[in-house]
Amino acid sequence: MNTQYLFITVVAMGLVTFVLRALPFMAGKFLRQHVFVKKLGDNLPLAIMCLLLLDALYGQSLNNSHNIWQELLAAVVVIVFQLRTRQPLLSILAGTVLYVLLRSIP
Amino acid sequence: MPRSKTTHPSPSLLNLTTPVAMGYIPLGAVFGFLFIQAEGPWWLAIFASLWIYAGAAQYMMIPMLVAELSVGTIALATFIINLRHIFYGLSLLNTLPKKWWQRSYCMFALTDETYSVLTALPPEVRTQKMTLLAFLNQSWWVLGTLIGIILGAQAKLDIAGMDFVLAALFAVLAVEQWRANRDFTPIWIAIIAYLVAIFIMPSHALLLAIAISLFISILRPQTLQDTHA
Repeated sequence: MNTQYLFITVVAMGLVTFVLRALPFMAGKFLRQHVFVKKLGDNLPLAIMCLLLLDALYGQSLNNSHNIWQELLAAVVVIVFQLRTRQPLLSILAGTVLYVLLRSIP
Repeated sequence: MPRSKTTHPSPSLLNLTTPVAMGYIPLGAVFGFLFIQAEGPWWLAIFASLWIYAGAAQYMMIPMLVAELSVGTIALATFIINLRHIFYGLSLLNTLPKKWWQRSYCMFALTDETYSVLTALPPEVRTQKMTLLAFLNQSWWVLGTLIGIILGAQAKLDIAGMDFVLAALFAVLAVEQWRANRDFTPIWIAIIAYLVAIFIMPSHALLLAIAISLFISILRPQTLQDTHA
């Protein structure tokens, strides 16, 4: 991989992340005045995380000859573990190990 | 909601950062491991954990870098994944430390976990502990990355499906987002938006689905409960 490309990408990602984290402190007054910001704050974070999850599962299923049930099953395992244990590492490991095992089935 | 004012006077820094360390060291290690396995240079993994410091975005970047997607595409994906952070700062608005370098660092280091630890503290204690807590939390993440690099350099594994960790991390973050408000509507919004998007424009389903969700969120009547002030 081209080192310059990698470096520039990481720098750009850091800048984007910092701007998002700093924005409420810069434009807090403006953001707080508007009802739509409150609505977005109540809905978007969870909606986007679900969309990222769905898109990751769908993308994953395209590299898999089975249809999407393996991805969905592994995701359900992660969700149940996280709801019950609140241990991100445990939940991620449980789902990923299950998924790797499912994938190894011919 | 005066929840943490009742019994404990003020939890020690160690008590606050230990649960984060338990999560960040192994999750950082997974990042370092996958990055080295994808044949990325070790120093760049460290640099990413120092400079980006956002778990989901760092996990996501690995396959995108391997596919050599454009910087703009990866920056846009980072924007989408981290958009939620805009709404975090709003509840910490007046509690940032005063010194400029502390302020800047705290804004930079406001990850999901640091945010949730901070919001559970009473405001007076919050300001005073914020910088050091944020710094310790990032140290665990960088330490984990280093451990992952060392482990990942030992042997090359070729396991189909290991990249499921990204989807799994999204699932974990979604559960925690849900726990904050216990509101199912955003989940339904997302599912409907994604199905519509994949039907209309499968090549850009995610972006279209986000636009649809944004639109529905604004149309949705204001919810009654007001959790964090």
